[in-house]
Amino acid sequence: MNEHIIELSGVTVRKAKGVLLDGISLNVARNEFVGIIGSNGAGKTTLLNVIAGFERFEGELSLFGKPERWKRSRETRVRVGYIPQLFQIDPAFPILVSEAVMTGAIGRVGLFRSPGRKEKEKAMGLMEMMRVAHLLDRPLGQLSGGERQKVSLARVILQQPDILLMDEPTANLDIAVQKEVLNLINEIHQKENLTVLFVTHDFNMIPAGMKRVVLLNHGKIVFDGDIDVALSGDMLSTLFQYPLETFERDGRRFISYG
Amino acid sequence: MVDQIMDVLTYPPIQKAALACILCGASCSLLSVFVVLMKMPLIGVSMSHAAFAGAVMGMLLGFNPFLCGFIMCLLAAGVLGPLSDRTDIAPENVLGIMFSFLMGVAFLGMGILTRTKAGALNLMWGSLLSLSDSDIAVLTVITAILLLFIVIFFKEIRYVLFNRKLALAGGVPERFIYYALLFLTGAVISSNLATVGGLLIFALLVQPGATALQLTYNLRHFFLISVAAGIGACVSGLIVSYVFNLPSGASVVLMATTIFAAAYVFSPKRHRRKKVKECISYEYDKR
Repeated sequence: MNEHIIELSGVTVRKAKGVLLDGISLNVARNEFVGIIGSNGAGKTTLLNVIAGFERFEGELSLFGKPERWKRSRETRVRVGYIPQLFQIDPAFPILVSEAVMTGAIGRVGLFRSPGRKEKEKAMGLMEMMRVAHLLDRPLGQLSGGERQKVSLARVILQQPDILLMDEPTANLDIAVQKEVLNLINEIHQKENLTVLFVTHDFNMIPAGMKRVVLLNHGKIVFDGDIDVALSGDMLSTLFQYPLETFERDGRRFISYG
Repeated sequence: MVDQIMDVLTYPPIQKAALACILCGASCSLLSVFVVLMKMPLIGVSMSHAAFAGAVMGMLLGFNPFLCGFIMCLLAAGVLGPLSDRTDIAPENVLGIMFSFLMGVAFLGMGILTRTKAGALNLMWGSLLSLSDSDIAVLTVITAILLLFIVIFFKEIRYVLFNRKLALAGGVPERFIYYALLFLTGAVISSNLATVGGLLIFALLVQPGATALQLTYNLRHFFLISVAAGIGACVSGLIVSYVFNLPSGASVVLMATTIFAAAYVFSPKRHRRKKVKECISYEYDKR
């Protein structure tokens, strides 16, 4: 049995607008690829924010066997990588693709030290792996959405995390680009031995490596288990309160939105 | 005219004013990089009014106006920092309220002042020709601290400017960097009350950075261009004010705007982005 590197017990997040997470308990083992699925406002992003250390919370959180709060050490933070949804960046913003990737090494090298040749070579290798090496001198703000997300992947892998949190990383991308990014995510999950938590609500764009799914509704876990059970028409129809059907073609599962 | 200007530069008060101009241009333009790239001009304007209100209240109560301005800036930073981190309050509304409240405090203080109001007006417009040695010394020390901060934490600053949340997730002490910047903003603004004053300083907190934004994608060059634009605006503004006998503060602001307008018109970045857009639409049409 693999050790649990993420353990949540009775985690609750309260805000003025209400309870965003309501007594969540969840264990994730090393190298697992877990999908977090739920409707808008279900608490998916809040759950990632708690694990990433962006959000104050009540209850217990343990990472790598050590209790953590939202304030935590640099050493713990660099072990938890984070990729948000595609965000807007001013096309005139002064950062090049190579510089954006290199930011991934900053936390690990620490204050008063600069990333050296080793980090630069690793960054170059990652840019090649993500197929953005030819863009290294381009301003980041002038890249397409898909290219920017590939740069994000290279940045976060350079950080050398053990856990990778992804908040709808393929949202707002073209279908072909979504597929390419998902394949890259699968590749890095296997190559880098990562534990991945992947938030999505696009059931037709599920990474192949995802075997376990946690369904959230109104801040509570309503299902935690095998992806085949989670993505059944009945389960999803109940969760989203909308008739959804699943069907398979060429060994792949598709969801029909009725 | 050049001989005339060189002649004037031999007078110690003018030399002091010229040095203050350079320090003011350098310190404000270094800060303006953060104000522009972190999109926080409202924080800049609120902090400058906090300094102004604090200094006026200091005059009224018989304390050192610049120290009071600095303390008021720190208080404003203490409110604005956590506020900008909250997602349940629209920061621009609170900034608007804070800005108008601070203006109210400043004008209330000016109204109550029984002594001459010239000192208070100097805080508003600045007074380059009546600077003391200690004013220059404070400005020099604060500019040096700001420069040192940028040099030492350059890589962390780059990450925080790019995205605060990602910087935090990446193990960078982003709260330290952000709050240090707010603290330094307060220090720079209050130490420049004597040079360009609490109202006109806002122009120097935005325009040099906005000028650099038109010209480079390299953050190091961005800082250098911003400093060049800031010092250029201050020195050329001073010369223009001397030659045409105009108010120095207003001349500095107008020169800063002229430099920005020139950068905008001749911006290679703007032309490059336009070209990229044209290429994209051409490719699309071809399909």
